[in-house]
Amino acid sequence: MSDSPMFWRIVRRLITANYGRLFVILLALGAGAAITSALLNLQIDAKRRLTTEFRALGANVIVTPRDANANSSGGTLDQSLLTGLSAENSGKPVPAVAFLYVIGAVAKAGEIHHQPAVIAGTAGQGLTQVRPGRRTEYSADLESDPAACEVGAKAAAQFKVRAGDSLNLRNQGREATCKVFAVVATGGAEDTQIFTKLATAQTLANLPGRISLVQLSVTGTPDAINRFISALSQRLPTADVHGIKQLAEAEGKLYNRISGLLSITVIIVLLLTSLCVMAGMSNVAIERKNDVGLMKAIGGSVRRVVRLFLAEAILMGIVGGLIGSAFGIVGSIWLGKAVFGVAARPRWIVYPVSVGITILVSIASAFPLRRLASVRPASVFRGEA
Amino acid sequence: MFLRLVADSFTRRPKRKLLTLAALALGMAVATAALSVSLDVGDRLAQEFRSLGANLLVTPEADSLPLEIGGVDYRPANAGAYLPEADLGKLKTIFWRHNIVGFAPILEAPAIFVKGGLGGGPPEPPAELQSAIHGEKITLIGTWVHHVVQIPDGTVYTTGVESTNPWWRIEGRWFAERANEVVIGNNLAKRVGLGVGSEIVLGMDSPGFDTPWPVKVVGILSSGAAEDNAIVAPLDVTQSLAGKPGQYRRLYVSALTKPEDAFGRRDPKSMTQEEFDRWYCSPYISSIALQISQELKGTDVRVIRRVAEGEGTILIRVRMLLWLVTFAALLAAALAVGASAAASVIERRTEIGLMKALGAGSALVGVLLAAEQLLVAFVGGGIGYAVGIVLARLMGQKIFGFTPEPKLFLLFVVLVLASLITLLGSAYPLRRASQYDPAPILRGE
Repeated sequence: MSDSPMFWRIVRRLITANYGRLFVILLALGAGAAITSALLNLQIDAKRRLTTEFRALGANVIVTPRDANANSSGGTLDQSLLTGLSAENSGKPVPAVAFLYVIGAVAKAGEIHHQPAVIAGTAGQGLTQVRPGRRTEYSADLESDPAACEVGAKAAAQFKVRAGDSLNLRNQGREATCKVFAVVATGGAEDTQIFTKLATAQTLANLPGRISLVQLSVTGTPDAINRFISALSQRLPTADVHGIKQLAEAEGKLYNRISGLLSITVIIVLLLTSLCVMAGMSNVAIERKNDVGLMKAIGGSVRRVVRLFLAEAILMGIVGGLIGSAFGIVGSIWLGKAVFGVAARPRWIVYPVSVGITILVSIASAFPLRRLASVRPASVFRGEA
Repeated sequence: MFLRLVADSFTRRPKRKLLTLAALALGMAVATAALSVSLDVGDRLAQEFRSLGANLLVTPEADSLPLEIGGVDYRPANAGAYLPEADLGKLKTIFWRHNIVGFAPILEAPAIFVKGGLGGGPPEPPAELQSAIHGEKITLIGTWVHHVVQIPDGTVYTTGVESTNPWWRIEGRWFAERANEVVIGNNLAKRVGLGVGSEIVLGMDSPGFDTPWPVKVVGILSSGAAEDNAIVAPLDVTQSLAGKPGQYRRLYVSALTKPEDAFGRRDPKSMTQEEFDRWYCSPYISSIALQISQELKGTDVRVIRRVAEGEGTILIRVRMLLWLVTFAALLAAALAVGASAAASVIERRTEIGLMKALGAGSALVGVLLAAEQLLVAFVGGGIGYAVGIVLARLMGQKIFGFTPEPKLFLLFVVLVLASLITLLGSAYPLRRASQYDPAPILRGE
């Protein structure tokens, strides 16, 4: 185009002629872009985070012997299963704890009268994740003791033990002692149990190398958890791998509700924000009537005038979008920290998307200028509205 | 004259005002929709979380230690303490009675059963039943389904295990109270080949049981837990079989609660009287637990931590997230509306110059323009509110299948917000405008 330098010169002048207006336009577009990128980033991150938060509910997958239920007294699994199971889910180790349950006789060390109680031997990583509760007493020093054990709140009250006390455990002539390092309240059956090292329970039960079940806490969307379960049950043909229905159902329902709520809110907010920015911008654009009138008076064709303003709008959109989206992504990292305590991971796809949306909004805002094509220079100069 | 000037600026250039109005209305619609969903969603979500089931467990205080593994209590039937069923109506008399959305007592008893009915003859124990070896040993769980509870204040309340264990699925139907009907776990049904309509004879798994009880299977239960291998019967039937009339062993309560904050987690014993009252009158899970233990004497009320705490953290997070989105929407609306207001002042420089040339003071010009903006704010805010309410309804219905009540105080909030935003947006250009020197403007410089 022969008059290209002139075209850009006019565009430059259009933009820089009035700094007040430039500021207003950039502010509106930038704010829109910032909110678009922040919400999009936060929304993607929040859904992922949500699945992590659900793990506050504890174990959601359980591995039991295939025929354990047919005959409630028998049925154990081999302990080697736990090491073979050290599964990973999206790069992160899955908390998995093996349990062996024995009904034994228990008494505080030094007392004669023993009472029956459930002794649960545990091995594996993440006992507190698969069995969420509150430790009313806890001593980190004692935890490293090879004979350390944790006592449920009800059991602790029954045997009158506190952290630091010792318990005497008995089963069919076999005997063991353990040192209490924590008292835990879960509100469930665990409150009445005594958690020892797996080896202790195996000795008491005379079942070396056996476990009753494995509990896992698998993070992910309901679909991802189901995929994990079916993958695991293929790897463990001897065992029955299933999700805990109580959690699976509620989690699925809640996840869908909450993520639906977030998506819909974000979409509506984004849509209305765009419309709002558009309306504001159009208001700014209409003001250019005089410019259009002048350009037409000195011989500018309608197409070229519209092209001029379109170029201006795209430039504004790019600048406003680039600046605003950058602010938005930085903001969402900080917001993620405020909501979930963990900084939101910035997703770079959000940046071009939000810049693109901003450019579109900016172009759409220039739309009223098309109507200015019908502006008659004479009436503008006469000062008629 | 003042009013005429204001009115004229609207009637002469309706299109311009319409755009400002549209920006404002849209902005306020976002604000209204986001605010009303945020306000309602907390309660709504709390109710959704009840699909996790009971969050409180009531057991006898002076109980022997339950020997529970995988949901099955291995204590003999005569060991341990029991609680009176007759007291349960009192649950709906506590301070937060409306937050109790369901409860179900459980009585478990070791039992055996054999397939087949007793026939038409006199109820005589069939031969197999006489020797426990031939019968299937199972756990008999007695509970309520659609049980009508008499509340001490004279009203009745219907509740049962469906509200405390909402993930239980039943194929067929639930048993009727007082009827000789049972529901059996799906694993058990598969194993022994029973189905809906089968007849079995139940008996207690204790030495010298002599009360064979013919019952009909009316449903197959799948719970994904220990109940899949058990038989669930009406509480009253289980009580008479186990010889524990009017008694139960465990009670599950599902309550709507407020997520525990730092205050809710404090030990009530360390509170001052005033703090205690505030704590007692907040629907924290711990204060509801205390109120239940005050009503049901001799009980130990425990919070099922995994449910209560999982619910708490997630609820707080989601609520914060929603408020953030709301705030973002407000911010976007404010900026866009502000920009629009600013633009409309900037373009009116000539008009302002003319007014000042005719002798209007800076203050009068400012007031005139501000009055115009306020009028726009009110109309725009009103329209935005109406649109926002419709939007909120659509959202509520789409996500939760409920319609949030339109809140009048939101209209007030939105109007104040709209006025503030337009005034703030036009404040700077207005100030500039009122300082204009008329002469250069009128000359067109």
